[in-house]
Amino acid sequence: MANTQRLYLTCIRNTLDAAMCLQNFPCQEVERHNKPEVELKTSPELLLNPVLICRNEAEKCLIETSINSLRISLKVKQADELENILTKKFLRFLSMRAEAFQVLRRKPVQGYDISFLITNYHCEEMQKHKLIDFIVQFMEDIDKEISELKLSVNTRGRLVATEFLKQFI
Amino acid sequence: MAAVAVHKFAQCLTCHAWSPDYSMIALCPSNEEVHIYRLSEGNWDRIHVLQKHDQIVSAIDWSSKSNRIVSVSHDRNSYVWNHEAAEWVPTLVILRLNRAALCVQWSPIENKFAVGSGAKTVCICYYEQENNWWVSKLIRKRHNSSVTSVAWHPNNILLATTSTDGKCRVFSTFIKGVDTRNSGASSSSDSKFGEQIIQLDLSYSWAFGIRWSPSGNTLAYVGHNSMMYFVDDVGPSPLAQSVAFRDLPLRDVLFVSEKMVIGVGFDCIPMVFAADESRLWSFVRFLGQRKATLSSARQGSQISEAFGKLYGQSKHSIANDGIEPSRPRGGIHENCINCIMPLKNRGDSKVTRFSTSGLDGKVVIWDLEGEEDLSEYM
Repeated sequence: MANTQRLYLTCIRNTLDAAMCLQNFPCQEVERHNKPEVELKTSPELLLNPVLICRNEAEKCLIETSINSLRISLKVKQADELENILTKKFLRFLSMRAEAFQVLRRKPVQGYDISFLITNYHCEEMQKHKLIDFIVQFMEDIDKEISELKLSVNTRGRLVATEFLKQFI
Repeated sequence: MAAVAVHKFAQCLTCHAWSPDYSMIALCPSNEEVHIYRLSEGNWDRIHVLQKHDQIVSAIDWSSKSNRIVSVSHDRNSYVWNHEAAEWVPTLVILRLNRAALCVQWSPIENKFAVGSGAKTVCICYYEQENNWWVSKLIRKRHNSSVTSVAWHPNNILLATTSTDGKCRVFSTFIKGVDTRNSGASSSSDSKFGEQIIQLDLSYSWAFGIRWSPSGNTLAYVGHNSMMYFVDDVGPSPLAQSVAFRDLPLRDVLFVSEKMVIGVGFDCIPMVFAADESRLWSFVRFLGQRKATLSSARQGSQISEAFGKLYGQSKHSIANDGIEPSRPRGGIHENCINCIMPLKNRGDSKVTRFSTSGLDGKVVIWDLEGEEDLSEYM
């Protein structure tokens, strides 16, 4: 299992390395504006083909690239309803603090749990390999985080139930 | 090591240009200013700051004969700066653009310059004596997307452009009253202004960084699909050649001689391309790669090859180990290189030194003198 995870993340890392070739590019449609083309999608020639990397049906990663920006959307594994609700809450918590993460998008792309938006300005300020490391590290950690949360919810549930049921003994 | 000088000027540089005697450098630190530095006793001193633009300056060119600087910016404006009494005096250029200007280059005779823009047009600007300003003539409705790079043919008439629609085009820019009919002395000078000589549809992706060879016989440009394109005999029957390489795409190119081209881009290391006797272009090697990374890469591949032979399967497991943090590439630049300029003494036909600048804010001067294996292409 760990091995497929590694392959999945390596694939994403290599794709990001190739996709993160961004440059400053002013808007062709609006005067004196400079907007991420991947969000506007006004000039089809400035977009590249999106890449979808799937580990299985539940876990996938969509990488959309344009001349000055890159969008990475992740779908995190959700085996049951508890994981589903945990993922939703946890990623919502992160998305609401998107400013602190700089590259995090405030709203995920439809059909995905969380999205990152990387523009040429991020590539100018930060080192590209560190950015890629951050994304991959994030993907590695999110699974761990969710299963840890699930464990602690279960443990707490068991504790509460034991305490509650004690009164009937 | 082929790099002879490295200096970090700012956090991030968009472009740079050299004064005619290479004692001064004009650069844009990724904002609306143009800074001019002078080298004195080994230190770079900032002697001028040119403030006129109000958005990021996208390109600068410094004319070698008339000592004028032209700067273009995303705010749709362009200024020509004249050096008068120790000050740089701007002259407005009426570009008549409604989108950002992206690239600029002086023509070889320096009576005109070309500006490529996000308005899908190219402006050819020339000086009008009676009004004391630079006016422009536009080449309209030829490009389907932003013009990313322009290059003048040595005959001062032909202009090559690349665009984000992936095409490369060559235009005639003959302007009555500015150019004389026999200045080109070829058939190309007979065509009218804005006439498209040729359209090259080689790239599937965006095209950048176009340059003519010193003689004007060969045209080179790069595509964002990690390809380099060479076109010989530009005219009715051009000969095109595509060279694919396995690294990240390039942003800009420079002809060192008729047989050698340096490409710079997202890989942060200059790449050398050269032509053999039959004019067949190929990738030669990287420039200034750290010896350690080179040898370790070679060792690594040898070991993995040996293991591969022994175990058959171990090559797989080595490939799987790619998850450890990626390392920066072993070059002098730490981020994308987006500008390359020749350092050529006047009258000297050979370019042995050139400078590169990139998003890491460094300007690096490279010297090809000590590279024995490349001397045959010089």
